[in-house]
Parts: sequence; C-alpha cells; structure tokens
Amino acid sequence: MMESLLQTLLNGVASGGVYALVALGYTLVFSVLGVINFAQGALFSLGGYATYLLMGGRIGVNGAWPGLGLPVALPFGLALLLAALLTALASLLVERVAFAPLRRRGAEPLQSLITSLGAGVVLVNLLQILMGAEGYAFPDGAGALAGLPDMVMLGGARIRTIQLLLLAICAGAVLLLSLWLERSRGGKALRAVAEDFTTARLLGIDSDAMVRLAFALSGVLAGLGGGLVGLSVSLTGPYFGISYGLKGLAVLVLGGLGSVPGAIAGGLLMGLAEALVPADASGWRDALAFAILFGVLLLRPGGLLGRVQVDKV
Amino acid sequence: MPSDATPLDRRQRGALRLAALLAAAVGGIALLGRRADPAAQPLPPPAAAGGALTLGAVIALTGNANLYGQDQRLGIGLAERWAADRARRDPAAFPRPVLLSLEDGASDEQSAIAAFNLMLRRGVVALIGPTLSQQAFAADPIAQRRGVPVVAPSNTAKGIPQIGHFISRVSAQSSVIAPLSIEEALQRDPGLSRVAVFYAQDDAYSTAEVAIFQKALTAKGLRPVSVQRTQLGQNDFQSAITAVLPLRPQLVVISAQAVDGGNLIRQLRELGYRGQIVVGNGLNTPNIYPICQRWCDGILIAQAYSPDLDTPINRAFLALHRRSKGEAPPSQLTAQAWTAYQVLFEAIQRLQRGGGLQGVSLAEARRRLMTELLSGRYDTPLGPIRFSPEGEVIQGRFFVAEVRMGPGGRDGKFTLVRERSLEEGGG
Repeated sequence: MMESLLQTLLNGVASGGVYALVALGYTLVFSVLGVINFAQGALFSLGGYATYLLMGGRIGVNGAWPGLGLPVALPFGLALLLAALLTALASLLVERVAFAPLRRRGAEPLQSLITSLGAGVVLVNLLQILMGAEGYAFPDGAGALAGLPDMVMLGGARIRTIQLLLLAICAGAVLLLSLWLERSRGGKALRAVAEDFTTARLLGIDSDAMVRLAFALSGVLAGLGGGLVGLSVSLTGPYFGISYGLKGLAVLVLGGLGSVPGAIAGGLLMGLAEALVPADASGWRDALAFAILFGVLLLRPGGLLGRVQVDKV
Repeated sequence: MPSDATPLDRRQRGALRLAALLAAAVGGIALLGRRADPAAQPLPPPAAAGGALTLGAVIALTGNANLYGQDQRLGIGLAERWAADRARRDPAAFPRPVLLSLEDGASDEQSAIAAFNLMLRRGVVALIGPTLSQQAFAADPIAQRRGVPVVAPSNTAKGIPQIGHFISRVSAQSSVIAPLSIEEALQRDPGLSRVAVFYAQDDAYSTAEVAIFQKALTAKGLRPVSVQRTQLGQNDFQSAITAVLPLRPQLVVISAQAVDGGNLIRQLRELGYRGQIVVGNGLNTPNIYPICQRWCDGILIAQAYSPDLDTPINRAFLALHRRSKGEAPPSQLTAQAWTAYQVLFEAIQRLQRGGGLQGVSLAEARRRLMTELLSGRYDTPLGPIRFSPEGEVIQGRFFVAEVRMGPGGRDGKFTLVRERSLEEGGG
C-alpha cells in the first residue's frame, strides 16, 4: 500500500515538475503584460531540438540532407544551457514581432494572443521544414547519465534516473527563479511592472526592458523543459511541445493567472491528479485532469493561488 | 400606365422567373461539370499526348504517421523506377505510360479526405493509400462512390476491403500475421503465463490489432494480467508501467504506433522489465531504432515481408533500395508500397495489351482496371500474391523477426527467426 502510494507520488511529481516549468514560462509573461504567450509550446519544441543538435544529433531536413548536423557534440549539461539561451533569443524575437508592435499601438490583449498563436505556428512549421516530422532520440541517449543505472528504487517505488534528473533540474530552476524574483533588484523591478506597468515606469523602472526580461526568462524555462523532456522521452516531432504547452496553460489557470507559487502548485496538482487515475483507465488521464481544473475553477474562479480581478469603474 | 396585375400576381410571376433562372443555372453548371469531369472523357491512345495514365498516391508525409509515410514514399518511388526501366527495355509489353502523382495525406482523416478529393479532381486512374486504417475508413468511401480503384499498402485493420468493391489491399490483415509472434514467444518460453497488454485506445488500427492479439492469447490459454490503454502521441508511460510491473509479467504485448511504441519499450526496459516483448505492425519499421535504441533489442514481430526472401523480384527491389539507402535493409512498409504500385502498373499494362483501354472513358477504364487487378497473380517482393474477389490480399508466406541492435544501439535489423507458409493469407 505504502509502496503504491509512494509510486503514485513519484509519478505525479515527475510529470508535475515539467508542467510547473511550462506554466512558469506563461506566468512570467502574463504577469507583466496580462496576455498569454501561445508560442510557449513551440519554444518548448525549439529547446528540445536545439539541445539535440548541440549534442551532435543528426537531422534529415525532411529527407533532403540526411545526416546533417552541427560540427559540435557537447555534453548534455552544456548543450541544455546553450539551448536554453537560444530559446531565450527566440522568445525575444517572438516578443519583438508578435507583442511589441501591438503594445506600442495600445492594442487589445486578445490581438496579442492571436499574434502569439501565429508566431507559434510559424515556429513549429519552420522546425518541421528543417528537422522533418520524424522522431529523434538524443545521441548517447542515457549516456548523458553515464555510469548511472537506468532506474532508481526509492522505498520500493521505481523511477527512471532520467526523470530524477529532470525533476532535480526543474526544482532547481523553479527555486532559483523564485529566489531571484523575491530577493534581487531585477526581480523586484519585474514584480513592480507586473503590479502596475505605468506606475513602475513613473518610478523610473524601464518597463519595456522588464517585458523583454520576462520573455527571455520564459524562453529559458521553455528551452530547459524541451531539452529535459527530449532527453527523457525523445523528440517525437515538432509538435511535441504543443501538448506540453496546452497542459501548461491548464496549469496556469489552475494555479491562478500570474501567480508564481500558483504555477508550481498547479503543476504538481495536475501531475498528481494524472498519476491518481487508475492504471487501467490511463487513457482517461487528460479527462480527469481537466475535470479537476473545472472543479477548482467552480470553487475558486481565480485559481488555487490567484486573485480574482475586479474591474474598477 | 397602371398594371391590372395584383401584387400577389406580380410576386408569383417574380418567383416563377427566379425559379426558371435558378433551374437554368443549375443545368448549366451540371453540363459544364460533366464536360469538366475527367472521368467522362475518353482515354487518348497510349502514344498520344495525354495518353499516360496517372496513379495517385496519398501517404502520410507529415504528422505522427510520417515515419510510415517516408518508408512508403521510398517504396513507391523505387517501384516507379523499376517499372520505367522495364517499360524502356520492352515497350511492347508495357505499352501504356504510367505517371505518379503524390500527395500528403498527413496522419488524420480530414487531410486524407482532402487529398483523395484533390486526386479525383486530377483524374487519376487509381489510388494508392492512405497510410492509416483510420484514414482509410474516412477517405476510401469517397473513392468507392466515384468508382476509383484503391490499393491500400498498409491498412491492416479488419473491414478495409469491405468498404466497397473498388477497395483492395496488399497488406495482409493483422488477424493473419499478429498471432505468429505470440506463437514464437510461447515456443521460447512454454511456461509463460502472465501477459500484460498495452494498446493505443484512440487508434482504429491498434484497437483492431489488440483484439486479434487478445484472441490469439486466449487461444493459447493465456489471460492478460493487465490491459493498459494508452493514447496516440503519449510519451510518458511511467504510471502505466509501474502499475504493471508489480504483477510480474513474463510477456508484454504492444499495439501502438511507432514513436509511442518505441518510447513505451524504452521506458519498460529502463524501469526494469526484462521479459519478452511482442509488438504489432505499427512498430514494423526501422524508424523505431532511434526511438528505443539499445532497448529495442530482442523485440519480436510478425511480418509480411522479409529481406531474406530469395526471389528475382525481391533481389531487384533490394538492389534499388541499396542504391538509394545504402546497406540498411528495407522495411515491410517500403516493400508493401512497392507492391501496391507494382500490382496497379502490371494490371494497367495487361488491360492495355488486351485492348481493354481502347476508346473507353476514364470511368470505364477504372472499372475495368479493378476487375483486371483482382483477377491477376503477381510475383512481388512479398512473394506471390493474388486477391480475393472482395479485394483482400492472399499471401502465402509470412515471417517472424527479432530486432537485433548493433553496438551503440543506434542501428539495428529485423532478423528473420521463422518463416511460415500459409495456404491462405487473406481473410
């Protein structure tokens, strides 16, 4: 009984950690701009492919140039960091193309939402043209964990070593981000912009720079998530990030729009809810997870740790 | 001058005029449509301009079945080269030029329907495809209604030829092939009693195939200790696997698509499962090697094609494949796609030689081609095949293969472990 419970907890926390990472990416952008960046899932895919290429992985360019790759083969950790930085640059590009022009014109948030969706579609299609739709597994596979066993037993419960690594990096990234937001000058400035964009500007904070910083950080999180999931379950095609993006979106709403602790709690809750679905009904995991989301929103419309926005007259 | 007509009369006259105008417009459109319908036009002689017949191929070049589509595109392309070479060397035996029109059917039903409609507008004489059984159930009825022969290169679910008399397949259905790998697993471990089954519950092909696996298990007196339902596109199987492993299965049976199944195998092995694994046709492609890598080693699969078959046509196929892909052996999907093209090409040429295509419309040519296709016998890379009157392939030889991965786990091979001769392959 205890083993089974521990196994469920481990399964839930392992997938919940990734969901939290994706939801945090959304949260950062939402908290400063009040809009959802729908390109986050595509950036997640980009992070996975960038890590793969930097590790020496070969691509087929849709069958045009089989065996094409970069002339480098970096170790996993370095490749993951560089890929996260590349994804941050791509995220900044998304901000420049899909958000900044509309923001300057004072457009409705709904318009930015649509342009970000467009940016995501373009990004995924570019990936498909370059990489093809076939699945890729990371070169050296589990060799990224050379010398370690494929699986670890914890109190009778099994977890893949790759997932433990994934969980540790997710937890580290979330912790670092939370500390930075809470304690650093930059983090405080970002929170000030999130609280009130105009007032922050009047107080001398470069609000536009803070927006760019939020996009860069959300890109880093997407890149980390994509690389880690790619290592864990291989890259299953350019659309693989989209499903994580959708799940992250649900977590964002579940935890409370714009709330960092809410995104973490929502991610873990979503992961645990999925893990609690009886194994024989595993096909119903998504249905149950979204039913929980529905139930929580009925009881707490602002999400678990979010605040209900009251329109002022 | 004031009119005597009442407002009611005027309205009636107006309505009648409008109705007459609409009827004329509909008639005109129908006439124009009839003239534009390629199926109503008589076929030009083979040597005349436009005398070539076009075969349409609708295969998955994008989406999650793209892995299969790549193999199929290769097979059709190689068959086209092989056919063109034969026609060049012996024009009298292959008098009617055949062109190929390829379209992406993606991996979903809507795309397959759109691609079929596009092909019909282009006036193809027959169609090859679509890639997935689930797509075939949606798109084949369109070809059936328009009287266009369809040869399925990879649809193995039950009920495909039964969609209509213009629908046939060269891919033996799972009920014939799938049980062979279960038999092999039992021969290797006659004492095995605990079996776990995983299948993609939202995939028509996998749900049909798993029913056949279950029937084969029941016939051997085995009852699954657990049946896990997965989903297309799922990549994290931790929960399902950790629920199964405490039941200590000795055999795991998987019916899923290549990427999902490859990930499932990898995670099964990583989480400590060491027993036998039998997989269905969805994993019947070398494209699983990069996904499950060293963990692919040892999986058992029943196949309709073996590169080890020593016949002239298979040697020709292997030679062309080698020229294109190097030493990597061809997949079953590539061989079946070649076969789909080959049977249509040979049926067209037989029909032409017998005068069956002279002065007939494209619609009539399609009807005659279907009859010719079903009545022929073909020597293909799959071995000798023919069709039942319903369009089901009748194939005599089947194979059980085991995946052997090379050092480093990057490349592998389906190694033949057993060949089975069946009097009747179709069903």
